[in-house]
Formats: sequence, C-alpha cells, structure tokens
Amino acid sequence: MIELKKIEKSYRRGAEKVRALRGVDLSIASGELLAIIGPSGAGKTTLLHILGCLDQPTSGEVLFDGVSTAKLPETKLVQLRREKIGFVFQQFYLIPGLSVFDNIALPLLFSKKPATRSKILALAEMVGLEHRLDHAPAQLSGGEMQRTAIARGLVNDPDILLADEPTGNLDSENSDKIYEILRSLSQNGLTTVMITHNAELAARAQRTVQIRDGLVHP
Amino acid sequence: MSGYLKLAGKNLLRHRTRSALTMLGIAASVGVLFSVLSFNRGFNEGLAVELERTGLHFMVVPSGCAHEVAALVLHGAVIPKFLDTAVMEQVTATDGIDLATPILVAQLPDPKRGKIDLIYGVDMTVLSAIKPGWEITGKIPEQDHEILLGYEVAQHEKLQPGDQFSSVSGGMNLVVAGIVGLTGSQDDAFVYLPIQTAQKLLDNPAAATAIGVKVTDPDRMLEITEALTTAVPGIQIVTMGEVMNSISNLAASARALSLAIVLIAILISAVGVMNSILMAVFERTQEIGMMRAVGASRRDIFRIILEETTILSLGGGLLGIVLSILGSRLIEAFVRSVMPFVPSGNLISFDPGVAAGSVIFILVIGVCAGIYPAWKATKINPVEAIKG
Repeated sequence: MIELKKIEKSYRRGAEKVRALRGVDLSIASGELLAIIGPSGAGKTTLLHILGCLDQPTSGEVLFDGVSTAKLPETKLVQLRREKIGFVFQQFYLIPGLSVFDNIALPLLFSKKPATRSKILALAEMVGLEHRLDHAPAQLSGGEMQRTAIARGLVNDPDILLADEPTGNLDSENSDKIYEILRSLSQNGLTTVMITHNAELAARAQRTVQIRDGLVHP
Repeated sequence: MSGYLKLAGKNLLRHRTRSALTMLGIAASVGVLFSVLSFNRGFNEGLAVELERTGLHFMVVPSGCAHEVAALVLHGAVIPKFLDTAVMEQVTATDGIDLATPILVAQLPDPKRGKIDLIYGVDMTVLSAIKPGWEITGKIPEQDHEILLGYEVAQHEKLQPGDQFSSVSGGMNLVVAGIVGLTGSQDDAFVYLPIQTAQKLLDNPAAATAIGVKVTDPDRMLEITEALTTAVPGIQIVTMGEVMNSISNLAASARALSLAIVLIAILISAVGVMNSILMAVFERTQEIGMMRAVGASRRDIFRIILEETTILSLGGGLLGIVLSILGSRLIEAFVRSVMPFVPSGNLISFDPGVAAGSVIFILVIGVCAGIYPAWKATKINPVEAIKG
C-alpha cells in the first residue's frame, strides 16, 4: 500500500547540515500494525511526517497506493491527508475551547463532511469516551485526551493511521488501553504505523522496524 | 452557524479579557464615528428648522463678515457697527418687503456695578419666532419697561419675574417680565428688551445692528436684495441660506477635525485587532500545525483567522452603535456646553444608513487588519509547529 524508495531527507540546523534519513526503503502493507523504534534523533518522526505527506523527502520516492506523492501539488497533498491519513500526536493537540465532540469532529470541517452525532458517538464508543462528549479537554485525563485524539484521527475514515509516540505521555495502564485500540483498528483492516520508545509495546506489534542513523534496520 | 465561525468564536472565548478589550476599542471608535456623522446630520437639520422658524428671509447688516451675521442671528454676537438710521426707512420703502424688524445688540457699561451688560433689543412680538427653543419663566415683555433675562444674568443678579432690574436702567425703571431657561449658549448672558428701550438706553433712537427682513414673495428675493444693495450704500445682505452655509461651514470644519481624530482612533483599534490576532496566532502555532496535519488547507487556516477578526470587528461595531445611542444625550450635553451655537432639538439623530455604514466601515478596516495575521498563520510550517 505504501512504499518508500531510497528516501533521503536533509535539512539545515544553523550552519550544520543534518541528514535525518539516508536512504530509507520500506513497504507497509494494508492493515499492518507497524511499530517504528529507535533512539532520539534517529529520524523516526521525520519518516512519519514524510509518510503523512506533511513533509517532502530531499530525494527518493513515496508511493501511496502506487501513486508517487513527489510531484503532487500542495492541494493534492492536503486532499490526501484529509481523505487517507489520520494523525495521532504524543502531545494530543486538542483544542481547549472545544468539547470532546467538537475536537473529534474537527477534521470533518476541513473535509466539508457533516459531523453527525451518530458518527461521532460511534467513534467515541470505540475509544470508550461516549460519556465524555460534552466535556472540555481540561476535564479529561491524559489517556482520555489521547483516545479523543485517536477518534479525531479516525473521523475521516482514513486508510492509514500514523501515531507519533501515542503513549509517550501516558502511564502503563493508559498505554495498554491505547495500544489495544490501535491493535483493534489494525485487526479491522486499518493500516497503523506507530512510533514508540516503549519496547514492550513495540514487541507486541505485528512488525517492528528500527531506525538508526537515518536508516531502517528490520 | 458555520463550523468555521463556531471555531473562530470559541478561539476568541479562550482569551475573553483580551477579546473583550479589543472589541471595546473597536466599539469606542465606531461609537465616536457614528456620533460625529449623526451629529452633523442632526445639527444641520436642527439649524435649518431654527432658521426656518425665524420667519425671516434675510438680514441687512453693516458691510462686514458673514460669520458675524450668522453669530448675530443665532446667538446675539456684538457687531461693533450700527446701521445708518435712514436704512430702516429705505428698507421698508422697498417694494416686496413684508416685514422689517430691527435688532440691536450692544454692550452697555454700568459704572455703578463696574460691569458691562450685553443687551439684545428686538421687537418682542418676533422674539418667539427667532428663539423658538426657549423655555421662559414668566412672560415675554409687553411693555417698554419690561425685560427678559438670560439664565446666567438672572442667576447672578438673583432676580425673579416681577423684580426690578436696576443695572442698565440709566434712569429707566426696568422690570423683569421673564427669565429664559438655561440654554448652555451665549443666550444665557444677555438682557433682552424691546428695541425702542434698547435704543433709548444707548441714547441712539434709530440705532440697529441689523434688520431682519421677510419678503412677500420668496421667489423675488434675488430681485429685492439686488434692489436694496443698489439703493442703500454701506449695507450687506445675508440670506438665511448664507447664514446656514456660514454656520454649517464652521460646523463642518469642526466635524472634519473630529473625523480626522476618529480615523486615527480607528487606525489604532485596527492595530489593536492586528496585534491581538497575531498574538493568538503565535500562541496557537502547534494547534495550527495539528490542523494542517488533519487536513486543513492554508485557505482553511486563513478563513478561521479572518473570521476571528470579523467577529471582533462586527461585535465591536454593533456594540459601538448601541453605546453611542445610549450615550447620545450625554454627548449632546457635552457638545452644547462647548459649542457657541447649537440648535435646539435632538442633535444626534439615529439613521440606520449611517449606523450600517459605520459598522461596514469598521468591518472592512478590521478584516483588512486581520489579513496579515491570517497570512502569517498560513505560513506556519506544520512539521516545525508539531515538533514544538
């Protein structure tokens, strides 16, 4: 489904040139639960951003369902993110002024789809937050916030969910809950890529790849 | 409500105090703008009505400045010249003149009190037409020895209707027939008396500062004024239209200055909007990055930010109009206390067109002020923003 060919990514940090990725080759099959592990600064997040069409590689090619994203204009990349990709972040990034319901529904605003109560409720039930829909993010625990963020990532029915250290700010109990949700999604056919520092969670994933010095090590 | 508008509104509510203060700044600017524009309209309408009520078509005065005549007609300014005694006869003898009434405004020293009284001599039968807005306690003088006091004179001299007025008596036994209510203008400082009495006090039996004239046929006014100007040397004829123009021009000058100040205030509030929204954009960098990641285009981000400024501008604009209407009496009282002539009646008249125009104007300015922050928001790199 997604194929990365010889992906390189360099950027400047002051006068220094940083080579974050040095020729990554990686294939991700549909419905796969893939864990990406590696030390800080290894290029995990850069890889995830390239996978999510948020960033473009310096060289190499990303094929999304066989279509290269390299030459796609900004509008097409935005459309791809809206329709096919869901994001989950370590820091949740919920909007404080919006309720759980509105936070989950936010991406529908950009995809111009109606935020029906039944759809949002179904997602909330899936992550166990149906009783919290009218609450503000400040009233939620860390685990609940991340579950809200997962529901938000799923609201546009994406083909792939990209989670950047989704359990990084959570205790083990909540980490387990999040992992179970991701695993359940994968079992239902959703391609899920998760960056994690949690070796135990990574070991439970369908496949684990390690990134070290900008290269993928199976 | 559209999702964008709801999101923009919720964003503003996250910083209630900042949003409220920004909105208040806009409200103050719009309120003043609306008041100045409405005041101009109310002032001109009131002035036209007041001049119409005098029943006079033009004034004959010694050659001089039209502004002096305007001041004379409306608040009794002292023109340091008298018309020749023959002028009255020549005016009344002119064809087409229906009514000619002399007006004598002068300063009269009172050595006993070491003061100078301002006297306004006029035919008392036309006084109510010339000063239609006055509220009089007592009555308008009917006898030669009766006088009417301006509010300040009555207060200062502690006089009531029926009391004897000795100040400008000059051997005459003057009695207070009535007292004019507070006008807040120079009218308060005058002593009003029959023209003949004023002429006697000045020891100049035929003196007049001006002659108010009503013609039989207003359509013939040009012909009549030309005939008068040719026949009587050393006079100037000022029509009520010219008086109105003269006063309107003075008011317009004040209005232009006020508008300039208002525009500066609006500019400052626009900078306030820009600052407030820009600050909000910088604070929400990560959030904007997240929105880009979950599918927002640059256009979506631009729209959200611009709708925030729209809410602030529209809310501030409407609030400004409401505050301005609620405070119109206070503004009028202030204007009456500082302006030398203000017509009676409502100075600030509510005109939906002016209100809508003021709100639309601030909306355009506000939205323009929001363009830069909105553009900055679209330039946020989602990758950098999400990294924090």
